[in-house]
Amino acid sequence: MITKRQATEATALLLMAVVPLVFGGNAYIMGLITLVVIYAITLIGLDVTVGYLGQVNLGHAAFMALGAYAAGLATTKLGWSMAPSLLAAMLVGLVTGALLALPALRLEGPQFALATLSFASLVVILLNELEGLTNGAQGLSLVRPALFGIKLSPAGFYWMCLALLSLIWMGMRNLLSSHWGRSFEALRDSPIATDAVGVSVYGRKVTAFALGSSLGGLAGGLYGFDFQYLQPDSFRYDLMVILLLGVVLGGRKSLWGALLGAVLIVMLPNLLSARPVFATIAILGFVASLLAAWHRRRISSTISFQAAAPIAATGLMVLGGLFAQSLEDWRKAVFALILFAVVVGLPEGVMGCVERALAGLFRVGRRPLPLPCSLDEVLPAQEPDQEPGLENNGAVRLEVVGLSCRFGGLVALDRFNMKVRAGEVHGLIGPNGSGKSTAINVISGLYPPATGYVRLDGRLLPSGNLVRAARAGIGRTFQNLQLFFGLSALENVMVALRHVYCLPLPLIMLGFGVREEETARSEALSLLNLVGLGDHAEIKAQDLPYGAQRFLEIARALACRPRLLILDEPAAGLSLPDIKTLLGIMDRIRERRIPVILIEHHMDVVAQLCDRVTVLDGGKVIATGTPGEIQTDPEVIRAYLGSIACTGGACTGVANNKTSSAAC
Amino acid sequence: MELINNGQMLVSGAAMGFVYALVAYGFQMTYATSKSINFGQGELVMVSTFISLTAAESGLPYALVVPLGLLVGAGLGLFVERVAVRFALAQKSEGWILMTIILGLFAISAAENIWGKDERPFPTPIGRASLDIGGGIGVTPVELSVALGVILVMVLIEVFRRWTLLGKAVDAVSADRDAAELMGISATTAIAISYALSGAVAAFAGILVAPITSVGPSMAATLILKAFSVAVVAGLQSGGGVAVVGIGLGILESLASFHIGSGWRETPGLILLILALALRPNGIFGKAIIRKV
Amino acid sequence: MLTIEKLTAGYGASAVLHGIDLSVADGQVVAVIGPNGAGKTTLMRTISGLLSARSGHIRLDGQEIGQIPANRLARLSLAHVPEGRRVFAPLSVEDNLLLGGYSRLPKLFGFASKARPDLDRVYDLFPKLRERRRQSAGTLSGGEQQMLAIGRALMIKPRLLLLDEPSMGLAPVMVQEVFATIKRLRSEGTTMLLVEQFAESALALADYAYVMEGGRIAFSGRASDLAVDPRVIEIYLNGGDQGNAP
Repeated sequence: MITKRQATEATALLLMAVVPLVFGGNAYIMGLITLVVIYAITLIGLDVTVGYLGQVNLGHAAFMALGAYAAGLATTKLGWSMAPSLLAAMLVGLVTGALLALPALRLEGPQFALATLSFASLVVILLNELEGLTNGAQGLSLVRPALFGIKLSPAGFYWMCLALLSLIWMGMRNLLSSHWGRSFEALRDSPIATDAVGVSVYGRKVTAFALGSSLGGLAGGLYGFDFQYLQPDSFRYDLMVILLLGVVLGGRKSLWGALLGAVLIVMLPNLLSARPVFATIAILGFVASLLAAWHRRRISSTISFQAAAPIAATGLMVLGGLFAQSLEDWRKAVFALILFAVVVGLPEGVMGCVERALAGLFRVGRRPLPLPCSLDEVLPAQEPDQEPGLENNGAVRLEVVGLSCRFGGLVALDRFNMKVRAGEVHGLIGPNGSGKSTAINVISGLYPPATGYVRLDGRLLPSGNLVRAARAGIGRTFQNLQLFFGLSALENVMVALRHVYCLPLPLIMLGFGVREEETARSEALSLLNLVGLGDHAEIKAQDLPYGAQRFLEIARALACRPRLLILDEPAAGLSLPDIKTLLGIMDRIRERRIPVILIEHHMDVVAQLCDRVTVLDGGKVIATGTPGEIQTDPEVIRAYLGSIACTGGACTGVANNKTSSAAC
Repeated sequence: MELINNGQMLVSGAAMGFVYALVAYGFQMTYATSKSINFGQGELVMVSTFISLTAAESGLPYALVVPLGLLVGAGLGLFVERVAVRFALAQKSEGWILMTIILGLFAISAAENIWGKDERPFPTPIGRASLDIGGGIGVTPVELSVALGVILVMVLIEVFRRWTLLGKAVDAVSADRDAAELMGISATTAIAISYALSGAVAAFAGILVAPITSVGPSMAATLILKAFSVAVVAGLQSGGGVAVVGIGLGILESLASFHIGSGWRETPGLILLILALALRPNGIFGKAIIRKV
Repeated sequence: MLTIEKLTAGYGASAVLHGIDLSVADGQVVAVIGPNGAGKTTLMRTISGLLSARSGHIRLDGQEIGQIPANRLARLSLAHVPEGRRVFAPLSVEDNLLLGGYSRLPKLFGFASKARPDLDRVYDLFPKLRERRRQSAGTLSGGEQQMLAIGRALMIKPRLLLLDEPSMGLAPVMVQEVFATIKRLRSEGTTMLLVEQFAESALALADYAYVMEGGRIAFSGRASDLAVDPRVIEIYLNGGDQGNAP
């Protein structure tokens, strides 16, 4: 069955493929469209980091340079033909990309941008200075090699590039619709939650970055064979800005955006040479931003920066178009103004707007949901044990010994000990700031402890590593919701179904991931049913009611097949019917004999759910026991109600609150 | 002879190192208040130096050229903050990286068209005749003025930060934005001040270094890369250490260009940066950051 | 002094406060108590302008302040000791206090001498802070940081002092000391709005109290009445009406 999307793509491909048949004799047009295809490939690569990973990558031009020189040197020095040279270009991009990403992606924000920028400068210097190899600034002339023994005409070369673009396009489509694409969305929404379900944000980012860089390398190789002459300086800062312009202008996170961006950046220089055309476009842009501002003004009375900035930028362009002596001299300034207007006024890019407009026209048909598979398949019940809940009966699953944690001068956790037995729901309670959250953050690997260790099923848990703790069997929810809000409920759970996804990345890109995807959908649905969200599977997490969001987090944590489940205040802010649902969910979790640590403030929820309770105060354990024991413990009552007269010695409990109040 | 050459490289390298340190110091200021830096700072240096040069060529005495340059730098810093940074920060996005690059690109293009693409000398009343400081190693008064100027400005700014309430307020915003707001300190103003100061010190660095490097549209392109390196290696959030790292880098690249070849001048900084990021992502003097849930 | 009418507020798409009515009279100490997640801290953040009100009114001596940002409210002598203390960790104790007076002190020079009498007053209240005035605030213990946070707010010379969970995360001895301080401020006539998880201690200090639950005021009354009200104990030990049913 052919979907509407596939039909559109096939049509576009066909249209692009027939261009040489019509304009084959026109070298100028052939040059332009070949460049469009090459730029489209590199922009798809750049979009992986800038769009899907959401990180500012200033090093993409360098990967093009490395690919171009790798392919160029492979043909000139080694006499390789087209296919192996391009493969070399791609591999060089992949390997250097991975090498740069490994250190650089441990950084966030500006440091990452700086690292890529430095790398780009370093590459240009190396290419300039290694004269023996690259001919330095003089440039490297090369002859386009044959493809499998066939000498390529300009049209032939174009068709080859187009074929590569189609392959990459399909590969990216497959990748983006697999769990990889989903994890990109997830890690932008909540990197912490992504790590906490055992999907390593760092690992995904490094792989994606290397993949994007390999496309840069490939495009570089094609670029070299297109121009048949290479110079280090063509891959400088300017190219980087043009590439960013392409991605931003076309629209981030969109294959079509990359193609459109490529068309636009290829057309721009030609635009500047024809002044009337440029002036017209500038005026159109100016009018458009005025209209946008007017539209916005009807909503809010003050003119915002977002409305004013594009007007100023396009206004300057109009002035330039009318009065500048030579537009060519002001090329960079024009780029800057266009970029500025787009980044501020049209952050989704041209394609983003088009897609939004089209989404209103065409309703995309949803894939029907599969049948949920049986819960035993998704969440095998953990080893049966002796009677649960009885004193010291079950085997110890989690053992926490001497955990301490400090922040600055504050001791958040002081030699904390705790044991959780098989099939047990273990409550962790205490007043605000008593260290409950710190305790579970250390156990789940978010914070490294200052002292102490945690064992799960006898094995030492890696400390201070969320991903490895998750893979070792810790599943958790968060006090402040950490959902992937842009994903549907079903997709939220699917992100965490690590055990389903085994196929390596190349096979997924070739389109073999469909079966896994179906399994994951049915397993996720079964987990959603467990928390009562089966009917909400296709709703975006951000649109779910608050209670449902909390339950979705539980379903997601269960999808990791946890050997220990940590629930951080699951009842906080829940309404009465929601609390009933929660109790039902807890019963079902208990049936599967998954040990649980439950942080909770509602004392009677604790009493009803927990087999044992540990009470923290000031980072220390002040009591451990059954809920019944805890509720009558004077120390616990003091910690909760804060009868300050009781600090010194015994306190007789709630009944005497009148007297203790009087004492202060 | 070898020894004397190395010594000479040490001196001229250190002079450049002071400049890197000063610009890096400016980066730390804005990073502290807003977790952002101006990626177009090199162009800010270039534009303010061109304006100072124009003023000097039209007969303004040097004693007035310097404060004018500082003012222009501060003004440009404010402009960058208002136009490229504030909007992105309000949206909690990293758009400011791209926006400041865009402003820099515009500035280069404008400078090429207004002042031309050629390198021009920067007039200075300070002598260029080398003074022997022993062992045949010479230091020029210009190089001395660079070192002294950098130290002077850094001291002045430290005085501002430690001895005025406004300076403390800027530090307070860096430490805890919400708490600072509760004390009546406007975080927006504090960020604007940090950008103005950062612009001023960068402009000053431009005036100091211009007699050595001459003035042109791309005069600060490499300077800025090295200032980035220094800031990151020393740690973007820590105040100390920039001077040490800056001078060290200046010497290193001066030696590299002498022994390996002038084209390799930029490499030590870049390699140092990538190494530092790989080994100590928060800088040699930086602190680890705790992830919050 | 402070009157709040039908106030709603929240973060992002979700509302946390659903129509709060509350008032604090001159010289009064008013406590807001309630379980976690009831919206107490959100209420405080909205009053002090860190969060802007969605609808309803907040009036300080008749002036509408619902949309005024936090940094301008300090100039109107509204002080807020935030949850979790939030001292300026890298700055010295004395600098922290001086910054408390930011809105009324000269910005460049001469602020230290002008602030002297107020500094001395805070140091007299918290002698420990005087001992440690050169130390950076991050090295203080939790209790000392709380003293500093209160002292810093007093430097505003507040007509209304908002205290958000001053006992949070403190050792029992320190909790006692914090409450002793609040008591002393009350005896000096400071008007206070106090959010506290320790209901009993808070009720012992306050003149009047509101009990919050689920972003609403569940009930209110004279503090001494509420201290013996079984509903309060119910909410605290059993999670209120919500927890009763299952």
